Amino acid sequence: MSEFAAKCSKCGAEFESPLGCTACGTLAAPEREPTPFEVFGLAPSFALDAAQLRRKLLRLGRVLHPDYFGAADEATRALAERNSARLHRAHDVLADDAARADWLVRHLGGPSENEQREMPKAFLLEVLEWNEQLEAARESAPGSRERTALAGLEAELKQQRERALAAVARALEPLPPRAAPTLREARSQLNALRYVDNTLAQIEALALGAPSSH
Amino acid sequence: MGFIELNVLNNAAQNVALGIDLGTTNSLGAMWKDGRPIVLHPEGDSGYVPSAIHFPEKGMPAVGRRARELALVDPAHTLFSIKRFMGRGLAETREDAASVPCPLSQNENGVVQFEMRGRKFTPQELSALILMKVHDQACKALGGIEVTKVVITVPAYFDEAQRQATRDAARIAGLDVLRIINEPTAASLAYGLDKRKQGVVAVYDLGGGTFDVSILRIEEGVFQVLATHGDTHLGGDDFDRALVEVARKELSALLAPNVLEDRAFLQSLRLAAEKCKIELSNAPEAYMHLAMPESGVQWRRNFTRAEVEALWAPLIERTLQSCQRALADAKLKAAQIDEVVLVGGSTRIPAVRERVERFFNRKPHIELNPDEVVALGAAVQAHVLMGGTREVLLMDVTPLSLGLETMGGAVAKIINRNSTIPCQATEGFTTYADNQTGIEFHIVQGERELAKDCRTLGRFKLSGIPPMPAGMPKVAVRFHIDANGMLTVTAKEESTGKSARIEVQPMNGLTDAQVESMLNAAYRHARDDFDARRAADLRTEIGVMVRATERGLGHASGQLDRETLLDIQDALVKGRAALEGALPDATTLQRVRDQLERATLPLAAALMDSVAKAALSGKKLSEV
Repeated sequence: MSEFAAKCSKCGAEFESPLGCTACGTLAAPEREPTPFEVFGLAPSFALDAAQLRRKLLRLGRVLHPDYFGAADEATRALAERNSARLHRAHDVLADDAARADWLVRHLGGPSENEQREMPKAFLLEVLEWNEQLEAARESAPGSRERTALAGLEAELKQQRERALAAVARALEPLPPRAAPTLREARSQLNALRYVDNTLAQIEALALGAPSSH
Repeated sequence: MGFIELNVLNNAAQNVALGIDLGTTNSLGAMWKDGRPIVLHPEGDSGYVPSAIHFPEKGMPAVGRRARELALVDPAHTLFSIKRFMGRGLAETREDAASVPCPLSQNENGVVQFEMRGRKFTPQELSALILMKVHDQACKALGGIEVTKVVITVPAYFDEAQRQATRDAARIAGLDVLRIINEPTAASLAYGLDKRKQGVVAVYDLGGGTFDVSILRIEEGVFQVLATHGDTHLGGDDFDRALVEVARKELSALLAPNVLEDRAFLQSLRLAAEKCKIELSNAPEAYMHLAMPESGVQWRRNFTRAEVEALWAPLIERTLQSCQRALADAKLKAAQIDEVVLVGGSTRIPAVRERVERFFNRKPHIELNPDEVVALGAAVQAHVLMGGTREVLLMDVTPLSLGLETMGGAVAKIINRNSTIPCQATEGFTTYADNQTGIEFHIVQGERELAKDCRTLGRFKLSGIPPMPAGMPKVAVRFHIDANGMLTVTAKEESTGKSARIEVQPMNGLTDAQVESMLNAAYRHARDDFDARRAADLRTEIGVMVRATERGLGHASGQLDRETLLDIQDALVKGRAALEGALPDATTLQRVRDQLERATLPLAAALMDSVAKAALSGKKLSEV
């Protein structure tokens, strides 16, 4: 991949991000689409310092946001829109453990979720049991024993989530070489994670009542 | 002093922008001045423009307070709560239509139209009238300086169609919209700015017609919205309606069925309910009055707080469900909220305050005026947009998910709700039949699984794909939501580079040509308005001149020659004639005024002489 300009053409400061200069506030138009990690000036890695990411988000936000280009020409305003959108998109990927892992697996030539649908074997047995519990709760009235039992299921799912995330971390730290077999393991755990998150969302929807129709 | 001084010589007026809260019940303008936002109001006026429009038999509609007053005597020709119709089709507004005193129809794009006095008005045009009034008031407060750049607020939960309708209303009003921002976010700007607050804040905004809740993190001038939820059809109007229903039931024994369904009667009932509701915020009980002399009905009904609170409880519960959803999306518990800010007139209702306090287990902030805080926040954002500061950074979100219909009618979400804006996302699509040369895209907004349950934002077709086996073409569809929350979609076939792009024109929206023609009509009316005002001012001036001339002639006619006196008499006759009967046009009045001025110049000189002599001889002017 081609490299981005290292320094700001206006003030000469070193670039933290290919989208703009945090020293002088000048916007930059990257010559290709930067990866989420490149947007934040970070090396690809599953481990991430959340506080540092947030500091960078706010710092870059203060440079790129279209609000600060109200009086600028149309091209500059459009660039501010585009770069802010890139920043926010990149942040969405990096800030979420599952999204970040998914990106890394695909970036390293591992299988996508469509190419590899399998989940860990032990996990599948539990899935059947959860489904039964959820179905029973769905068919029961709010406040029933089946509904209150969901709190237990929720706690169990959250533990599962932690376990799956830890397994993803083991597979991706340190970052494996391209197309390494551990990428398949990471994908399998990510599939489990997605399943857990969907189930958690269903429990939450049940607790909140029917979705509002908008 | 009501006027705000601006450095007009430096064209300062061009470097300012207004913040406007276009509310369901009231609208208000504000501006940044001397390091803080202030409400713009002409001297002796609160600046609140009731969002009401009255249509007299002849002449221009009355907007604002005058319209509200006229609603009491002529409810059949006064419209309220127009905001609830913005960006909506006829079928979606049935419930609100019941309290509209005139027939409704829809135009060829499905935009609702109010039929008043033989004319049809879209909500966009009516909102434009309100915006013009707010703008006019604000400019008066600025000493007559014209400011056309504005930031306008909308409920956070407004969808694309409702936002676009607001934007069109501003265009029709001749305003240059710098930005559309969300009301709870605006409120947080006004709140957080004053206090230099840090932490997680919940803004609970219950207005006249809409409800929003936004959860924000405020940190070193950054206002980051974490999640928002709401209901664009839940507000004070619904609280009124609960009382109206009780009244209708009890009045059914006294009134004929056709009266009970009468639109003007329902409007009167609604106004009585609103008054009773407001009184109940300050007293444990209040009466709802209804006087209909023509039917011989004098009705009075006592409501206690306990009774209305039971009626309102389901409405308040709905707002708390929204709060629950917003918290879930922000991945927070109620206990993790540091501050709760109440916004919107309906948060004056004690039961609302109590329930919100119980829900968050925290005393909400009520020190800011809930009716002004949104306009003030809009003024802060206007200041930022005019390059006034980089201290404040607003990171708002898109309230509803956006996606495309896939085969089988499901929705592929491209951008999730509560994504920080501006944002973009790209998704790959392909063909499902061999040699398919075009793909049609159906863009939808909403949280439901099936496209038919979501709101259609638009459809567009990418054609000219070279014939290939099914699944071979790679079409990248890119969604971009800009800082205003408006969507642009582009589709590109990667082997040919063929692309299609649409700026989404939502359903129930106006076309550009329609906005253009309404804009022209509005300018024409503004011109008429301007002329009428000028004529009225000229007539007042002529009245002053006529009286002064009459007085002056009594003092100094002896010092003037016959010809001058005849000239003055002639001008006086014309002047007096201009003061009687219907208002002549401005050009005629200008002529009369100029003639009076010319004819009375010698008289003025003679009077000045008298004054000078009087001063020299030590007499008072009145004795001259």
